[in-house]
Amino acid sequence: MATSSGIESNDGFSSSKEAEPETPQIPPFRMPTMEEIGAQEVWNNCAIRSVASGVMGGGLGLFMGLFLGALDNPLMQEEMTAREQFIYTAKQMGRRSWSSCKAFAVMGLIFSAAECIVEKARAKHDATNTVVAGCVTGGSMSARGGPKAACVGCAGFAAFSVLIEKFLERHT
Amino acid sequence: MAANTDLPPGVDKEQVFGMLAMEMEYKVELFNRLAMACFNKCVDKRYKEPELTMGENSCIDRCVSKYFLVNGIIGQMLSAGQRPM
Repeated sequence: MATSSGIESNDGFSSSKEAEPETPQIPPFRMPTMEEIGAQEVWNNCAIRSVASGVMGGGLGLFMGLFLGALDNPLMQEEMTAREQFIYTAKQMGRRSWSSCKAFAVMGLIFSAAECIVEKARAKHDATNTVVAGCVTGGSMSARGGPKAACVGCAGFAAFSVLIEKFLERHT
Repeated sequence: MAANTDLPPGVDKEQVFGMLAMEMEYKVELFNRLAMACFNKCVDKRYKEPELTMGENSCIDRCVSKYFLVNGIIGQMLSAGQRPM
């Protein structure tokens, strides 16, 4: 629609109407091309978003596991030579970082998928989406301990994710 | 060749252009009202990020589809000669 196109334009002020010299030079509004729309639509897809979240969670878990694994001291510290201690610590770091990478990747995947699905279904951008997604993630991760552990995990992770969301909102 | 000019008899070009211009105005008006209505309904007034969130996107999809549906129904009712509710 070539004429006044509503929301994203600048209330009718275009650079062709320069009657008053005080109005700033606003560039005319340009409709997005199909490629731009397509590029934005990529991030609207729940599968792609959750996989990307999972990958980021995996990277975070890798580094965290590496760091925490380096802090582990071997049990038989006096009986090993320095080289053996080094090999042991390295193996420990590797094992720890891989397991933590998997855990965080799964957590990120489930959280992102749940939040995306709930938000698309509700068609609203709220804190409720975060709560539900956190509950699903926490519950599914602690499901192995029985229903009571699942409830505790659900509530705990939901509260945690709401706090993180509020913190990120305030600082962005 | 160029556009086929097989107009029904009794209708001249001026009329056709007039009708097309009116149609274009209707479409523009429809778009503007649709955009305003769905924006006021779907987008939160406190802007937290520059892009539309996913919830807002799906809200806008639903709003636009409902608007077009209702627009079509009212158009049919008007053209059938009944009074719209």
